[in-house]
Amino acid sequence: MQTYRTLTGDFSWRVDRLDWPVTSEVGPGLEGVIASETAVAWLDPSSGSLSYRDVPIERLAGLRTFEEVAYLLITGDRERNESELDSFRNRLRSSRNLPPQVVELIHDLEPSTHPTRLLRAGVSALGCHELSEHDDMSGERHWRELRIVGQVAALVSEIARHRRGRKSHQPDPARSLAECMLWALLDRAPTKLELETLDLLWVLYADHGLDAPTFTSMVVASTLADPYYNIVAGLSALRGPKLGGAGEQVLEQILPLGSVEDAVTWVDTTLAEGGRIAGFGHRLYRMDDPRAAILRKQFAVLARERAEGELFSIAKAVEEEAALLLGPKGLHVNINFYAALLFHLLGADAHLVPCLYMVGRMAGLVARVQEMLKAPRLYRPRSQYLGTPDRSLTEREEG
Amino acid sequence: MIGAGSSIGEQSYGRGLEGLIAGTTSIGYIDGVQGRLVYRGYPVEELAGHLSFEEVAYLLLNGELPDREQLLQWQTEIALWRNPPELAFRALDTLPRDAHPLAKYRTMLTVAACHIPEAEATDLDAQRRRPARILSWAGSLAAAAIRHLKGEPPVEPRGDLGYAANFLYQALGHLPSSEECRAFEASLIVQAEHGLHAAAFAAWVVISTGADLGSAVLAGMGALSGVRHGGANQLAWEMLQELQDPDNVRSWVREKLKAGYRFPGFGHRVYKCPDPRVTVMEPYAEAILRAKGLEDRWETWLAMRHEIEKTLGPRGIYANVDSITGLIYHPLGLPSSAFPIPFCLAIQTGWMAHCLEYLPDGRMIEPGAVFAG
Repeated sequence: MQTYRTLTGDFSWRVDRLDWPVTSEVGPGLEGVIASETAVAWLDPSSGSLSYRDVPIERLAGLRTFEEVAYLLITGDRERNESELDSFRNRLRSSRNLPPQVVELIHDLEPSTHPTRLLRAGVSALGCHELSEHDDMSGERHWRELRIVGQVAALVSEIARHRRGRKSHQPDPARSLAECMLWALLDRAPTKLELETLDLLWVLYADHGLDAPTFTSMVVASTLADPYYNIVAGLSALRGPKLGGAGEQVLEQILPLGSVEDAVTWVDTTLAEGGRIAGFGHRLYRMDDPRAAILRKQFAVLARERAEGELFSIAKAVEEEAALLLGPKGLHVNINFYAALLFHLLGADAHLVPCLYMVGRMAGLVARVQEMLKAPRLYRPRSQYLGTPDRSLTEREEG
Repeated sequence: MIGAGSSIGEQSYGRGLEGLIAGTTSIGYIDGVQGRLVYRGYPVEELAGHLSFEEVAYLLLNGELPDREQLLQWQTEIALWRNPPELAFRALDTLPRDAHPLAKYRTMLTVAACHIPEAEATDLDAQRRRPARILSWAGSLAAAAIRHLKGEPPVEPRGDLGYAANFLYQALGHLPSSEECRAFEASLIVQAEHGLHAAAFAAWVVISTGADLGSAVLAGMGALSGVRHGGANQLAWEMLQELQDPDNVRSWVREKLKAGYRFPGFGHRVYKCPDPRVTVMEPYAEAILRAKGLEDRWETWLAMRHEIEKTLGPRGIYANVDSITGLIYHPLGLPSSAFPIPFCLAIQTGWMAHCLEYLPDGRMIEPGAVFAG
């Protein structure tokens, strides 16, 4: 049996074929553990390049809409069968019509509730409307999961409206996922550049290996639970401070900074005091996150269109100063830094950022769950018992 | 603890992380060869029938059985949280009656989580205060979800009843006999912890992100709902209902065996021997079925089990706990689609214990995927 040096070697995380069982290194947090074999996406640790279905993201970012990339990830069809793509897109868009009871449920909850919790409640309620206790899941799962991608987008739009005290709005099936979301965020028709930006963000967020929401969903789906259970579980892993919360922190840190000088001083003081700069550091990259470079460029362009040049300069100053001080420690800028700022320019408040990123991530999550379900195997590792030796209640009563 | 340490080891494991030692624990162990299930050193057959569910929950969460004063405090704390936010009951009214009760219960929990008094606090102390609230809210919400199936309104909790009896009272609208309550309580105790099974593992992954304990429990519940998991006790009972009487069991089993059918409630990834939880529950199931004049269900189950184990036993396939809990839940008056709920109420105790054990310095769980395109 081959041993994979997943942590101390230069394992590429790419093989022609994997023969189970495998032997690998195992580190803290199950780092180095091979939890699945996949054809969905590959991140090359040596170059930091990312590809979806073997298509490098540079050939997708800015050139393909999120709907097209979701199609690529979920179906694996690189040839792009136009009629299949059309029906995929229609299904995705039409699933955004939410039952009125679910919309009311969202609007009945406090608008200040964290959006990730509202989203989770909304998805859970949808599951009750979509599946009765008599439903047999066989044969239709693929279709159901696709619907949830559209439903999550629609719920996030509703939540964005609810947070700003706006009324509910049925999405127009002629409009893309990105366009309807921007209407909900901006209350007006988005510009071409804004539309392109949201599609770009979702494309770049669409998949990134077994992040916690995706892996949680796979574990839950491996029990053959219905898809609403695995999405609710995945959403429960979305906002831990170590994860989706990062985007929120970026905005909480950057937006109050008044000038480039303030920004530099703030970075210096924060790091001197042992604090953290959100949007820096990533477990997988020992170099700049390739997605961050693409988003930096986009941020420059959108900031110009929006006359937000000052914000761009401040962000750039923070990035440069932090890179100077953190780079030698192996902490580099990651996707969340410029993504959070872009979501901000698109009209999102900080708390909404994890939900917005999740709309994109749904594509990879669904693709990986469906891939796993082709030959499902229950996820059940073991734990080693190091506790109290065998004892008896009688001893307790006597003693 | 592997998840928390800094050391790197080498391990061999199969698909589904089978055989991987993901961490260490002091909560309990399962011996799949001898057929033993042990909580904090105590074998489960000693705990069921002798202690209350609250005592066992305390043991699992804290490592030791409570003394008189600790128990009183723990019971008071649990009883304190028996009234979940009104919001969650309002949400239930917007859901279709024919949705699965576990899905309704899930929705009520997600809505209640929109109204948590200290939602944002995920420091260790805040997490440690949560189990009483989660156990208690869960019981009241689950009972309401079960009643909703028949269009019946929720029932107010009763402060003078223990966890198990109060749940039955809230779910059924009346208090069953003390024998019935004891049988139900024993079923909660034997199902309160089961190692790092898929649901506990899902909860672990969620807690490792820094999420709150309630979020981890929701992930566990998802894994429990699957047909390979908690949902199996519903399917196992429904399979038994297909069989009229013990006499046609033999031909039915043989036919199914020939067709390669997987019998729900039989076989287990860990136990390759009789499931100790089944052994504990047998006398309770027999007594309750006989008392209700349902002897034929008992005889049929025995015959079916005998027939299946005769052929599959040598391959390590025996009746597991999902096969027997329906024999208690049905005569109590719970509808079969509600069977996964008591399992869920019980075993979330174990999930919470595993999460709290992981928390102090556990790293975020993030294994890798190998590209083989």
